[in-house]
Amino acid sequence: MGCCDVRSGRCKECEQTMKGARAAVELLERQKVDVMFGIPGGVLLPFYDELAQSDIRHILVRHEQCAAHMADGYARVSKRPGVCVATSGPGATNLVTGVATAFMDSSPIVALTGQVATGVLGNDAFQEADAFSLMMPITKHNFRITDPKDLAETVNKAFMIAMTGRYGPVHIDLPTDILTSDIAEEDLAKTVRVPKPKRNLSGLLDAIKLLESAERPTIMVGGGVAWSRAGGEITRLAEILMAPIVTTLMAKGSVPDNHPLVLGVCGMHGRQVANYALNNCDVLLAIGTRFSDRVTGKLSEFGAKTKVVHVDIDSSEIGKNVKGRVGLVGDAWTVVNALIAGLQKRKKKDTWIERMKALNKECSCDHDLRSDPIKPQKVIHELSNNLPDDAIVTTEVGQNQMWASHFYKCYGKRMFITSGGLGTMGFGFPAALGAKVARPGSVVVDIAGDGSLQMVSHEFATAVESGIPVVVCLLDNGWLGMVKQWQKHFYGSRYMATKFSGTPDFVKLAEAYGAEAIRVERHSEVAEAIKRASKCEVPILLDFIVDPEEDVLPMTPPGKRTSECIKGRCQWKGGA
Amino acid sequence: MEVLMLLVYDQPGVMQRVMGEFTRKRINVETIVVGKCEMPERARIVLSVENRERALNVIEHLRALQEVIEADIVAPDRHEAYAILLGKSGVCRVTGTVEEVEALIKKSQPQRYIEAMNAI
Repeated sequence: MGCCDVRSGRCKECEQTMKGARAAVELLERQKVDVMFGIPGGVLLPFYDELAQSDIRHILVRHEQCAAHMADGYARVSKRPGVCVATSGPGATNLVTGVATAFMDSSPIVALTGQVATGVLGNDAFQEADAFSLMMPITKHNFRITDPKDLAETVNKAFMIAMTGRYGPVHIDLPTDILTSDIAEEDLAKTVRVPKPKRNLSGLLDAIKLLESAERPTIMVGGGVAWSRAGGEITRLAEILMAPIVTTLMAKGSVPDNHPLVLGVCGMHGRQVANYALNNCDVLLAIGTRFSDRVTGKLSEFGAKTKVVHVDIDSSEIGKNVKGRVGLVGDAWTVVNALIAGLQKRKKKDTWIERMKALNKECSCDHDLRSDPIKPQKVIHELSNNLPDDAIVTTEVGQNQMWASHFYKCYGKRMFITSGGLGTMGFGFPAALGAKVARPGSVVVDIAGDGSLQMVSHEFATAVESGIPVVVCLLDNGWLGMVKQWQKHFYGSRYMATKFSGTPDFVKLAEAYGAEAIRVERHSEVAEAIKRASKCEVPILLDFIVDPEEDVLPMTPPGKRTSECIKGRCQWKGGA
Repeated sequence: MEVLMLLVYDQPGVMQRVMGEFTRKRINVETIVVGKCEMPERARIVLSVENRERALNVIEHLRALQEVIEADIVAPDRHEAYAILLGKSGVCRVTGTVEEVEALIKKSQPQRYIEAMNAI
């Protein structure tokens, strides 16, 4: 250490080596990381000491799970990797839920965890957990660095893997002695080769033939389209094919909800017209979707009469759930453009699309938007009407999420961010914070339920402390609403562990953290509260006391056909 | 029996990652052979599963792993088996086609034996 300046991490005399911690920070800077979300800890002290010298903004969260959700929200908005950091042991285990959430929704985050020194790895040292093994099944790839020489290559690889092919989270486990060891300049210069994207378009002609001869073509878009930003191309393709577009939950917002060919979200709580199109089309062009059970219902019934063209960037998705007649491997943007080029000659048969457009107009729900207690649908309706055209909406998981997906109109530059795959309650609030950091100019609204918010309400501290003014739009019904709804419909209304009798006063709670808060109990006050909140310059909670008796309907019970749908106030008469 | 052959990076954690895909898909691996190969820092994994449906179910997922360089289903004419038998006359090592090895095991009725699939 004699010749080395501890503060800068660089060796003054030789200038040939650098401390691992300094190198890690520089590598992140080279990856153009401008913000990271995390909590420090013992083994990470050398890293945080260097981070203090860096321009990278560090946002101190209150629970590591939320650091991962924030990185996830940041990634979904910026389409760049979000970075989160947690210490060894409990830090790493807390991060797991957030990383798994990102994995299920193919979100590119880079998760760093500290680790005990390599010399004591496996000896049950203080705050040791085998984070490398824990993260393995819930990441696209993960690393444990055991040689300082590998640091640069590993960090560069992590960012490359997160953002190539199908995006996904990458985890790096970083033992503390790597952070304090010397790394030679030449080892820091190691870069990685970006592999060519995997494509297999050998089925393209078959796909074009199928689509050209289709009587009732339908396009189904999934999360891959949102990541690939292929929405514009897909609406063009739909216009050429005269085909309606249905979206999965993950694709909401990737094509504009106000486009005449877009029928909205399909699936268990989807719009009936979207499910009708899925069930009655003869050729289904499915793009960037993995046919989740929440979309298909009974898998053996799904697409039984339909020829499927399945486009996905991940070859392992083709034929995983629905045996695709034709599979095309490639990113949505590229494949859709190839299809557009090949399909110019199609004869337009407009009877199908005219019927779908007519049915789309009829597909509505008769909710009383002027009743008290406030119907949750009223809140979503007013959000649709009053949020700016570039607003970002995130959701928690449960009834709030399904009302939002069914009734919120996402178009223009609006975005819709939700935990579709893992269904993580508590995702929406931290994801909103990450989204706001990525796009500070936009109004960011978390549509929350009282169950979900209580899992992450401590992040009001982060929002206030770091000055991240998001709007939490709480649909407060005092229940774990979605579970209650299932108990009501499928378990003889035997409510077990779904009613909260000790809920805090959310207005006081938010205010205690230094946020603003308004309680809204009358339908006439909903629009005004939303308008006020979208101009608010500090984090704000809108506590909407909503009707606890309201269910999310229509609903196709799990594993059932669309014809067995529970309709509620849905006025659909178009058949199944 | 279907035989899969993988070329992988030879580093800690690879087996766990590969086996993780089988665990997730609820596929039992019948036999497994891992060894060094002609390339430095690479290893070959040869493993067998019960039927073709299972092999097809998992192969694309194996190919998607970062540490897997190649993954293929091996044609039956390239399947080999080997076994070590312990009988009254001591240890006996057997290699050959699957039929040959299994016939010998059946015939010699060893006290203990281990058999695995291999291929090249």
